[in-house]
Amino acid sequence: MKVLIEPKPQNMINTILLMFVIHSMQVGVGIQGFQRIIYMEAKQDAWISVILSGIAAALVGFIMVKTLHSYKNSDLYGIQYDVFGKWLGNLLNILFVCYFLAAFHMVARNYIEVIQAWIFPEVPSWLFFFSLLSLVYYGLNGGLRTIVGVSFFSVVLALWLILLMAFPFQFANWDYLLPVFEASIPEILMGAKQMTFTVVGFEIIYVLYPFLKEKDQVHKYMQFGLGFTTILYLAIMVISIAYFSGDQLERTIWGTLSLFKIVRFPFIERFEYVAISFWMLLILPNLMLYLWAATRGLSRIFNKKEQKVSWKLLVFLFLTLLYPLNRIQINMLDDYFAKGALFLIFGYPFLLFIAVVMKKKFFSKKGGSANVPKNK
Amino acid sequence: MFFKKQQSLAPDRIKKETTDDKELIPVSKDEFISIMKQRLQDGADFKTKELANGFTLVFLDTLTDKKMLNKDILARLGGISATPDEALKSITVSSTSKQKYIEDGVDAILKGAVLVHSAGYPVIISAVVATQENRSLTKPETESQVMGPQIAFNESLATNISLLRRFLTNANLCNESFTVGKQTNSAVALLYLKDIADEEMVDRMRERIQGIEIDSVMDSSNLSQLIEDNSMGIFPQMLLTERPDRACSWLLNGKLVVLVDGSVQVIGAPQSFMEFFESMEDQNVRWQIATFLRLLRMFSMVVSVFFTPIYVAALTFHYEIIPQTLLVPLGESRSRVPFPPIIEALLLETMIELLREAAARLPTKVGQTMGIVGGIVVGTAAVDAGFTSNILIIIINVSALSSFTSPNYMMGNVIRILRFPLIILAGFWGFYGLMFGFCFLLIHLIRQSSLGSPFLAPFYPPRFADWRDSIIRLPIGWTNYRPAQTRPLDRKKYRARKTKQ
Repeated sequence: MKVLIEPKPQNMINTILLMFVIHSMQVGVGIQGFQRIIYMEAKQDAWISVILSGIAAALVGFIMVKTLHSYKNSDLYGIQYDVFGKWLGNLLNILFVCYFLAAFHMVARNYIEVIQAWIFPEVPSWLFFFSLLSLVYYGLNGGLRTIVGVSFFSVVLALWLILLMAFPFQFANWDYLLPVFEASIPEILMGAKQMTFTVVGFEIIYVLYPFLKEKDQVHKYMQFGLGFTTILYLAIMVISIAYFSGDQLERTIWGTLSLFKIVRFPFIERFEYVAISFWMLLILPNLMLYLWAATRGLSRIFNKKEQKVSWKLLVFLFLTLLYPLNRIQINMLDDYFAKGALFLIFGYPFLLFIAVVMKKKFFSKKGGSANVPKNK
Repeated sequence: MFFKKQQSLAPDRIKKETTDDKELIPVSKDEFISIMKQRLQDGADFKTKELANGFTLVFLDTLTDKKMLNKDILARLGGISATPDEALKSITVSSTSKQKYIEDGVDAILKGAVLVHSAGYPVIISAVVATQENRSLTKPETESQVMGPQIAFNESLATNISLLRRFLTNANLCNESFTVGKQTNSAVALLYLKDIADEEMVDRMRERIQGIEIDSVMDSSNLSQLIEDNSMGIFPQMLLTERPDRACSWLLNGKLVVLVDGSVQVIGAPQSFMEFFESMEDQNVRWQIATFLRLLRMFSMVVSVFFTPIYVAALTFHYEIIPQTLLVPLGESRSRVPFPPIIEALLLETMIELLREAAARLPTKVGQTMGIVGGIVVGTAAVDAGFTSNILIIIINVSALSSFTSPNYMMGNVIRILRFPLIILAGFWGFYGLMFGFCFLLIHLIRQSSLGSPFLAPFYPPRFADWRDSIIRLPIGWTNYRPAQTRPLDRKKYRARKTKQ
């Protein structure tokens, strides 16, 4: 496997788009109902947990880009291969591929669960999965630029949804936010930990990095994307706490969607039907980029063409999605996934960074440098 | 060997590659006449004229101008000695040439030339005296507008190029000519402004035109389907126009313009999705009005495509989203309708399409009657008979009306057919199906390219500087840069400040 990547110029994307990719990757199914799990830990101080999780994401994002910067043009797979050697490196690569596939699985399953719970309880799920996956395949076939384009439009075309938050805003009872700092620090930290599933997604930078045009601006746009997400989450969290009463919030599985319920225009009401359907556009970039990342991983490890890998993965994912799960099982799966993600996304990048720095030092003693590793 | 590669190559290349196969002009007069006769299948309009001093004139009666033939050729050839050089000197026609091969002679004669054969020489003179059977220039019909020049292209390639040259008096205007079509040998011209148009794009366009292997090209719309990036796509990726001023503004923005002989519309590329909603008139009205009109057209496209499917989806699955005050009249008007909303909508959409197609095929006078009949039948009788609801008729009519606002006829067609799959999706899966269709269209649009440049520019990839003249139009002083989509060699049109004086 080659450590360094030389993408074709027609696959390169402007770094400014990274902002949209990061934001669209973070906003997915987690945002639909993150309020409840955070609230159960930190009560009315849940918004502090959201800020903490945002800071943690910014820190990890910084470390990730720092790690990638120490190579000229490589991705996670190349770096792990270079740092940990063939066997351990590829083992970790496969682990990350599995993580991306699992993330894909979770996003698709959670979304279809919402669809079935709110709109179509009787339509068989394979129909939904099939339609969703066929869209993913069509987008994936268009190459990276198409995928990034979908994530760009998913952010831009969904901005109006934020304005609808003005409706619950009218009915907010700000006393619900008081007293501040009632929760203990461990409780707030536990709340922040529960945000993992909602916050992850920015790890895509590990795979996307070689395709960005202006490398010196990666830090800036990475932080812009993360910051925008944090602000959005914070706003939704604050509105939710102020709008729902405590007991109500603990019983509301999909808090954000419930907020849409009271949106009302002269010609349309019960807006959550529109919002949930529209959510497909927010889900698509998640699915596409996760699958793309997994495909890149496998095709780099086994030296196969991406097109040959992607449809096999899609068929595999489709089959796994067919396995029926109920709400409790999905919740359990979410928890397992969040635990894995917590380690892989919020812990491991520091290890990798240290390893890369160590290797750099080790090599510089011998006269070489990790900046220009040999192509293997 | 059904399609010979050479047929579609540029004329100069043909000469180089096939010189060996060509037949030389015979020296003897009788032999020349018989060969030409045989080559032109002994056509009824094939005429020969033998002069006393040894010249033989060969031409097609139907393609030549009698007046010119008599005055500029026959009258001049009378008293001179019968050599090609003498003939060349005497003939007073501007386009003359010497030909050595039979094939070249046949080509020339098919383009309206007279071949002058001098006995004893293996060289003939061809002089073009073709008739110009042309429609006079008329007003643009499919792209008519209140303000701006009222002139449209006609079927003659030469006239069209002359129109463009008159609008654009510029020595840098390049004109390359090609021959496309194995049977028709249609003349195709590629125009662009040197120093502005991107060389790579010109090369790409040239390659595509030369690479076509087809027997006939009857119209530019025909050619555009052959040279566009993705012929499987729903949206046309190259624009057509019949307005010389529009073609000129394309050229000035660094686009390439392709003209086909015998067609009233010229092709422009590369093109972005937004240009479907731009009209030449936007440049002629004030910027606030132009911006409003462009936004209106964009909005009407969305309405036209999604209005009926939303109705179908809401009434089939999502009654909850309709407020009570609206639900009562809706239910009232639908109470007598025996069909589910999807059948109802498809029925009415089909009727509208029938009306539209019939009106397009009929002469104008009958067309008006059609409109009245259609309006009464569809509007009143269908509701009275309990076939459809009043509200659906309003919705369908609004969306039909909106689809006419697109300044581009091809886009109007696309909008027209896009509704049907979306109605079906909405009827099957409600809003989910509608969103599926929307996402598919979005991915489809992102995937398209026009001559290798992104179709959704300037939105994706985002080029904010180009937004000044795309979905909105800012004052002319502000739109002083050419759009990045054409990758112009010279970005700047003019200095912003100077336009204000």
